[in-house]
Amino acid sequence: MATLQLKNIKKIYEGGVEAVHSFNLDIADKEFIVLVGPSGCGKSTTLRMIAGLEEISEGELYIGDKLVNEVEPKDRDIAMVFQSYALYPYMTVYENMSFALKLRHLPKDEIDQRVRWAAEVLDITKYLDRKPKALSGGQRQRVAIGRAIVREPKVFLMDEPLSNLDAKLRNQMRAEIIKLRKKVNTTFIYVTHDQTEAMTLGDRIVIMKDGWIMQIGTPQEVFDHPANIFVAGFIGMPQMNFFDGELAKNGEKYQLTVNGCPVEIGESLQQALKEKDVPSKKVIVGCRPEHIELSSADNALKATVDVSEMMGSEIHLHLNCEGKDIVIRVPSTKLSAEHRGGFEFGTDLKFAFPADLIHLFDPETENNLI
Amino acid sequence: MRTRKNKGAYYVVSLIILIILALLFLFPLYWIVTGAFKTGAEINSVTPVWWPTEWVTNNFEKLFSKRSAPLFEIGSLTGPVVPGAIRWLVNTVFMAVVAMVLTCITASMAGYALAKKRFTGRHILFTLIVCAMALPKQVILIPLIREMSTLGLYDKIWAVIFPTVGWPFGVFLMKQFSEGVPGEILEAARIDGASEARTFSSIVVPIIKPGIGALAIFTFINSWNDYFMQLIMLSSSSKLTISLGIATMQAENSTDFGIIMAGAALAALPIIIVFLIFQKYFTQGITMGAVKG
Ligand SMILES: Nc1ncnc2c1ncn2[C@@H]1O[C@H](COP(=O)(O)OP(=O)(O)O)[C@@H](O)[C@H]1O
Ligand SMILES: [Mg+2]
Repeated sequence: MATLQLKNIKKIYEGGVEAVHSFNLDIADKEFIVLVGPSGCGKSTTLRMIAGLEEISEGELYIGDKLVNEVEPKDRDIAMVFQSYALYPYMTVYENMSFALKLRHLPKDEIDQRVRWAAEVLDITKYLDRKPKALSGGQRQRVAIGRAIVREPKVFLMDEPLSNLDAKLRNQMRAEIIKLRKKVNTTFIYVTHDQTEAMTLGDRIVIMKDGWIMQIGTPQEVFDHPANIFVAGFIGMPQMNFFDGELAKNGEKYQLTVNGCPVEIGESLQQALKEKDVPSKKVIVGCRPEHIELSSADNALKATVDVSEMMGSEIHLHLNCEGKDIVIRVPSTKLSAEHRGGFEFGTDLKFAFPADLIHLFDPETENNLI
Repeated sequence: MRTRKNKGAYYVVSLIILIILALLFLFPLYWIVTGAFKTGAEINSVTPVWWPTEWVTNNFEKLFSKRSAPLFEIGSLTGPVVPGAIRWLVNTVFMAVVAMVLTCITASMAGYALAKKRFTGRHILFTLIVCAMALPKQVILIPLIREMSTLGLYDKIWAVIFPTVGWPFGVFLMKQFSEGVPGEILEAARIDGASEARTFSSIVVPIIKPGIGALAIFTFINSWNDYFMQLIMLSSSSKLTISLGIATMQAENSTDFGIIMAGAALAALPIIIVFLIFQKYFTQGITMGAVKG
């Protein structure tokens, strides 16, 4: 069993930088957890504390039922894949992969069997006798993963393993990691700054900022119900649009206006606001580019086209809405033939929010109102 | 931008300069080696004799007939009696090789630790080492002699080995090389379960091998050529190094340059061999210093 428990974990570096504040997370056996956030938010620090490469300044880390704060990395039963691959340059691929097993004094034929199995899984059997220098970036990446999986660790740690690859290879390796996960079937903790990787790989995602956890949830949860403006903006491409709005409680019903135009609030959102007993106040209204719809209704919001990007199956429209830049995604199928290729600069448009797909945030705390 | 033609001219000019310099540096070696085979008359002739008219070996015969000593003395074990010059050569090779090996081991470990390990006082330690590099040897010679005689090593070959082994420049050089070992590789080894010793020997050493090679040749040459230190630390005839031994001959005989030339040629031989073996590392070591400052 490889559950992990991080309790109030804190990291203060020499010199006083507090890189991680009070990190709490329970990880289930065989779960795939992704730590995601902008550069410098403390993802690597957290992962390195789990690996045992950095000391835990405060808090407790359990792997299984065992407190491992003071346990050496080699005794934590983990394996790690580094961003730079960190292959041993003067060893062949085979030697790289068998190094840890040799140090554990496994019988020779078992070592051989495991290395060949891993090489098979990762399709690197051809390169077993090569030195890392003679491999491409993608092949090195596979060797680095191979070196980790031969160990059959309880926990598999990966720190931005794909960020040194070009875009095409990255997509391919992402798919391979999903397949790999099925084959090795262990607990994964994966660090990335790329929200696409986080969304596609993770069972659950931990979104971090400045050493704080912003939200923990499944990809669906963090996408559908972001806990705050940061998460709302970080998850999803292009990012969510934000507008200043005015929320007014009118008897039993809430009414919302943006730029003086009334915006309909869906039934479930009405219900939630009522339950929380939210007072009338200024709010920030968020809506994703793919949810905003072009409209011809009289009370729709007005905007002018700045840039129109033809993406093939859809158009990304960058609009100027009363001085604010917003982006909307319109599927080509929803456009008349004349606009399927895009809109002219300066075209006046009107758009509306679907009642169920808006998010309301408190302007002061930046948290989701519900 | 330089044109193609200019580049050719540049190449030719630098080639000519290099050839002239090489000839200048080679000349003493040429003079000694040919001199060793000249007759006394030709050596002492007022007009220089550029090429021996007759190649004679009696300089070497004389060199090897002077004095004799056991080939080696380890505790009470003594080797067969051989000409003194052979013993001196054995002493010198032993001194230079042991100094080289010990320096490479200690300096690479110390340099690696200074570059890659976080421990309190490492900045001060490194500063001290750099300061020690700036100390002229003459300043530390007297304390060194006292240290060695207190340790009971005076007039023993170890008295010229140990002072060379604590060579600050060696530590500095190995630190520079060790900086280039990626931290993530060391962390990977740590997770893989490699001990410190294993990480050092299986992973760090292969990466810094060019540095060790450069250091090896530096130390060998340094130790071999450290006449001053040898002169001060060694006194009894059978303990001498080859250069000291030749010098004593100079004092005894009213300077027979033939013997001295033969001895010098003999003394130069091992160093030339070592240089040829480690040449690749030697140049790497020098350019490394240039890049890293
Ligand atoms: N060894 C260190 N000493 C001091 N501060 C560090 C050290 N490593 C990282 N930091 C700081 O800790 C913060 C988090 O770093 P890191 O965990 O590497 O972020 P991420 O991996 O999310 O980009 C950063 O502000 C960084 O400057
Ligand atoms: Mg990082």
